[in-house]
Amino acid sequence: MLKFIILFMSLTLAAPVMALDGEQLLKQIDRNLNPESYELYRKLINIEPDGRKKEYVLFTVKKGRDKVAALFLSPASDKGRSTLRLGDNMWLYIPNVGKPVRITSLQSVVGGIFNNADIMQLDYADEYNVEKIEDQGKEYLLYLKAKTKTVAYDKLNLWADKDKKIPTKIECRTEADMLIKTLYFKEIKDFGAGIVRPAVIETDSPLYRGYKSIIIVANIKKRDFKDEIFTLTFMPNMESLRK
Amino acid sequence: MIEVRIRLKWKGVLCFIAWVIIICSSSVFAEEKYKLDISEIEKKPYNLNGYAEFRPVLNVVDRDAALYKLKFYNRDEGKTTGEYNFKFLIDGSYEKDIARLFLRLSYDLNYINASWSDNLKPYEASLSLKPSPSLTLDIGKKTLKWGKGYAWNPVAFIDRPKDPDEPDLALEGFWVISADYIRSFPGPLKTVSFTPVFLPVLDNVNDDFGKTGQANVGAKLYLLFYDTDIDLIFFTGGSRPSRYGIDFSRNITSSLEIHGELAYIEDFQKKYTDGQGNIFSSTYDTLSYLFGVRYLSQRETTYIFEYYRNGTGFTKEEFSDFYRLINRAYQSYLTNGSEVLLGKAMNLSQGNYGRPNPMKDYLYLRISQKEPFDILYFTPALTTILNLRDFSFSISPEVSYTAITNLELRLKANFLVGARDTEFGEKPNDFRLEFRARYYF
Repeated sequence: MLKFIILFMSLTLAAPVMALDGEQLLKQIDRNLNPESYELYRKLINIEPDGRKKEYVLFTVKKGRDKVAALFLSPASDKGRSTLRLGDNMWLYIPNVGKPVRITSLQSVVGGIFNNADIMQLDYADEYNVEKIEDQGKEYLLYLKAKTKTVAYDKLNLWADKDKKIPTKIECRTEADMLIKTLYFKEIKDFGAGIVRPAVIETDSPLYRGYKSIIIVANIKKRDFKDEIFTLTFMPNMESLRK
Repeated sequence: MIEVRIRLKWKGVLCFIAWVIIICSSSVFAEEKYKLDISEIEKKPYNLNGYAEFRPVLNVVDRDAALYKLKFYNRDEGKTTGEYNFKFLIDGSYEKDIARLFLRLSYDLNYINASWSDNLKPYEASLSLKPSPSLTLDIGKKTLKWGKGYAWNPVAFIDRPKDPDEPDLALEGFWVISADYIRSFPGPLKTVSFTPVFLPVLDNVNDDFGKTGQANVGAKLYLLFYDTDIDLIFFTGGSRPSRYGIDFSRNITSSLEIHGELAYIEDFQKKYTDGQGNIFSSTYDTLSYLFGVRYLSQRETTYIFEYYRNGTGFTKEEFSDFYRLINRAYQSYLTNGSEVLLGKAMNLSQGNYGRPNPMKDYLYLRISQKEPFDILYFTPALTTILNLRDFSFSISPEVSYTAITNLELRLKANFLVGARDTEFGEKPNDFRLEFRARYYF
């Protein structure tokens, strides 16, 4: 009986500690990837099995937990397009169309493996709960579960370097545990001002066999913005934020 | 006249050569190796970009259709007609401190019905001042694009009507003075923005908007409230009757969006004809509205569905009278060579009878499949517009391919189906096949 009580108490006490640790670890991983508010440039490259590729250059700004906006700088066919995310709300502005339209996280404005949620990524800790952590020697494996149904991927399996607390690999899965895509974090680089993070993220997907997508991160800087920038009305003026 | 034709013909040849050179140079750029250079992200004060488009069209005509008789009453076009259309849309901007100059120029060169024509027009030309992220002041020619609908926008009170067959095309704006004031808040009301607009209508300034010599004002109040976009809109002035509108858009799930628009128009004046060519007028208050959904399935098929009630539209009977007038006018021309009634019908067809979807009730459905069979950048789509009053419809299958950077290729067919005296049955064509190659620079 005493053994049972000890076992019960250790389980009930240990569970919240693990949950708290997991949450803190995930928050730390988020902060190591990006400051809470920042600007950065990214190049997205879709590579086809025959080696052909399509490239997009984006200027991205983020503020706080739920505000992200991105402006397409190239190619010419997409130049001037901007996307905005405010919590679960997403919009796309196309200069020719002339007005922002609502889009959903599962759509893709760039085609290929990336969807809108990939392009307008919020902090992992804001979208996912840590269900379980496994110690795998040099790495932690975090099992993440989406907080709401509106999150693009229901589950993430996130491998993080134990010392640096930055992700090395993330598997994006459906509720039925089907693998949708895998992200590989590579080439750790010092961007200055204490930001040391992977500069390249490679992505592949069993749904797109032979295809690969790459994100190259550049010029990431901590920067504060007014809330009014993350509004539908401001979307046509995103270029004015670039210095 | 002959000289002008020859000059335009040469312009056509030069446009085609310029287009081919641009395309060839694109394949050279496509061989470059990828990297993120500082030059790619460097900000320049000026910007110049746009597209060049080549769009040949084949029409299979319906020689018994009323609108064919009206258009080609004095000549035989044969069973098919061809068109060659070139378009250049160029955006230029210059930015300094809080000021930004923007110009969007459109140049069209068309070979239609065996004759060349061209048209150079500034779609937009404006100066913007942005003293803070919360405030923008604009003066110049602008498109406002109000409304949430995809194919139709009954609340777009200060815009030219868009073509439901090509709702994403750039449109010409109007000369306005406007402002945007934005505020953000924590809580369920996240954003409020206010857009007042002043639109003068004078001789040579916005004179195609409505009655000239009038000052008009409009405004839009936008709210992001409980994750729903809501616009409250009004327009008043002497050029067009006063009108009030509301629209909304909201994501229900990560793959489903709903939207709607409602417009109330006071004292709308409808001019209509009888089968003899007598013009009548009735004035009434009316409602136009739209409800739509956009759904993305797990197989990445996008469905856009809209119902549109056009309160300013014509009834089936009114349109039948219009077609009767055309047939009577055509018979009169064949019998005694008189073009008087044809001229009357022509005037009406260039007014309200000729606008896109001029009747009362419509359904719109577009189904597009992203990259089927793992073919990246390949998108087949099917679009249909159904007139619920006369059950005529158009159905347009299309395929687009965008694998080559900056080059967009599209092949689109358009079938028009309907009995006599119906909207789509009386169009000049039964079928249209169009290829569009658009190169962005």
